[in-house]
Amino acid sequence: MPITPMEVYKLLPKTNCKKCGEQTCMSFAFKLINREKKLEDCTPLFEEKKYAGQLEDLKRLLQPLEEATETGLIVDEELCSGCGNCVVVCPVHASEDPKGMGSGFGPTIDDPILRIEDGVVKVIEMMKCRRYGKNRVLCVACRENCPSDAIRFLEG
Amino acid sequence: MPTCTGCSCLCPDIVIKDSKVFNACRKGSAIFKHCKENRAEPTISGEKVDFGKALEKAVEIISSSEKLAVYGLDTIPLEAQEIAIKLAEKKKAYIDDSSAFCLGDFVEMVLKGILPTTTLDEVKSNAYVIFYWGTDPYNSLSRHLSLYTYYPRAGKRQRGYEEDRYLVVVDVRKSHTAKLVKKNAKFIKVDSDEALIEGFLSTMDGKAGKYYEETGRILKEMQRGGFNAIFGGLGLKYGLNGNYEKFVEMVKRMNELTQVYFIPAGFHANMRGFNELMFEKTGFVNRYSFESKKSSPEYEFSELVRNDSVDTVLVIGSDPANSLPFDVLQKLREKRLVLVDPKKSLTSKIAEVVVPSAITGIDQGGTMVRSDGVRIEIEPLWEAEWTDEAILKELLGEVK
Repeated sequence: MPITPMEVYKLLPKTNCKKCGEQTCMSFAFKLINREKKLEDCTPLFEEKKYAGQLEDLKRLLQPLEEATETGLIVDEELCSGCGNCVVVCPVHASEDPKGMGSGFGPTIDDPILRIEDGVVKVIEMMKCRRYGKNRVLCVACRENCPSDAIRFLEG
Repeated sequence: MPTCTGCSCLCPDIVIKDSKVFNACRKGSAIFKHCKENRAEPTISGEKVDFGKALEKAVEIISSSEKLAVYGLDTIPLEAQEIAIKLAEKKKAYIDDSSAFCLGDFVEMVLKGILPTTTLDEVKSNAYVIFYWGTDPYNSLSRHLSLYTYYPRAGKRQRGYEEDRYLVVVDVRKSHTAKLVKKNAKFIKVDSDEALIEGFLSTMDGKAGKYYEETGRILKEMQRGGFNAIFGGLGLKYGLNGNYEKFVEMVKRMNELTQVYFIPAGFHANMRGFNELMFEKTGFVNRYSFESKKSSPEYEFSELVRNDSVDTVLVIGSDPANSLPFDVLQKLREKRLVLVDPKKSLTSKIAEVVVPSAITGIDQGGTMVRSDGVRIEIEPLWEAEWTDEAILKELLGEVK
């Protein structure tokens, strides 16, 4: 399940104290999910004892953030069956390797974004993904075509 | 490049580098990764012996048999299958493979020309509407969609699956493949395949039958595409329960409107190869007796074992003890069983003689037939001393 800003907000102090540098706790919640801010930036959460329970819940909730790649992609190899749908549908793959991955075969370039290795999908070169960098697009082609939900994105 | 023989897709683009397998699905990569583990050893009644002795004993058992059944054969190359058929002919034996309860009926209809067919390469470059009827390729033939049908951009279909393909999944439940149905696609949950066939027929008659919304839209899309393919699986076979007339009529009627082709979805790596060889030689695809020179449902392997119609069984490259019903296994234990197989299995535990052979695509090469009938040459990674072909040649020469 993707993490929503509202879920994070509910566990924050909700005092809008601005100690983190943000105007509101809600905008801090957004930036937490986008990984522009760290949980440690919210000092009251760590200093005041009454937030201890909430802090534990937040840490648990944000655990997938640690596992995700920089574009927010999470791959669960246990669920993957190696069908290669994600590799073939990726628009970047299709434009860079039209005779290989674009045509359904394995990659003929050395640095694809995703590759099937030992029967499961592996992330190789995340920097090429359209979800990365300044002009990013919220492309979900790989997730949309994974019927076993082995591919997820943090934002949903 | 190595070819994967995990299923009838026979994926041609497998790369093996630094003991890692690239591009193969989970099933295929396991075949390559664990090819050296759990290999069968030559045994007689469970005791390990020399390979030569095991082969001698196999010859002795088969020679002394009066009613022999040859079974399996779906994972070995055409060259070896040919010799196995000759051996069955020499012994006037029964011969059968898993196609009897798999998609043999559809292969037969395709070979007889009752259903029009095409190749997967044609589907890849031309097909617009792609049916998966009673099959879940995501689980059984993982790369079918991404390598041959729905996803690849090729030939006339360069704009990808969202614009240049139309997926239709027909199943009794929302399978993994059905979850792929999104934009430009339809999932039809059926209780009875016949009802849907009737639906298509009445829509083509201009009447509103059952499923009229779906069938109307799909027929329109089919006419728009001009080249369409139906992949039928076991769900369709058992759904129709042997009454294929209506289905054949539906495909025929559809072909009056537009081009529609049928391809059996998929099965063991070389099941279609065996069916084709048998069809060329005898006119039947499976369940054949060289004694009475005909094919009959009674000659299905599990029936032969159940009814004690055979005294000796030669199993090649299969694990019937694991895949057939329990009562068949109980009866199978009473028969004299010779197994030619590269791996240890439940069958190798109950076999009187085990003759270890090679794995196609790993330590033996040969020709295999893909699910659409295209013959694929398979290069071995290395050559084993005793291949299926060599073992069967020896048996054919020595058996009296």
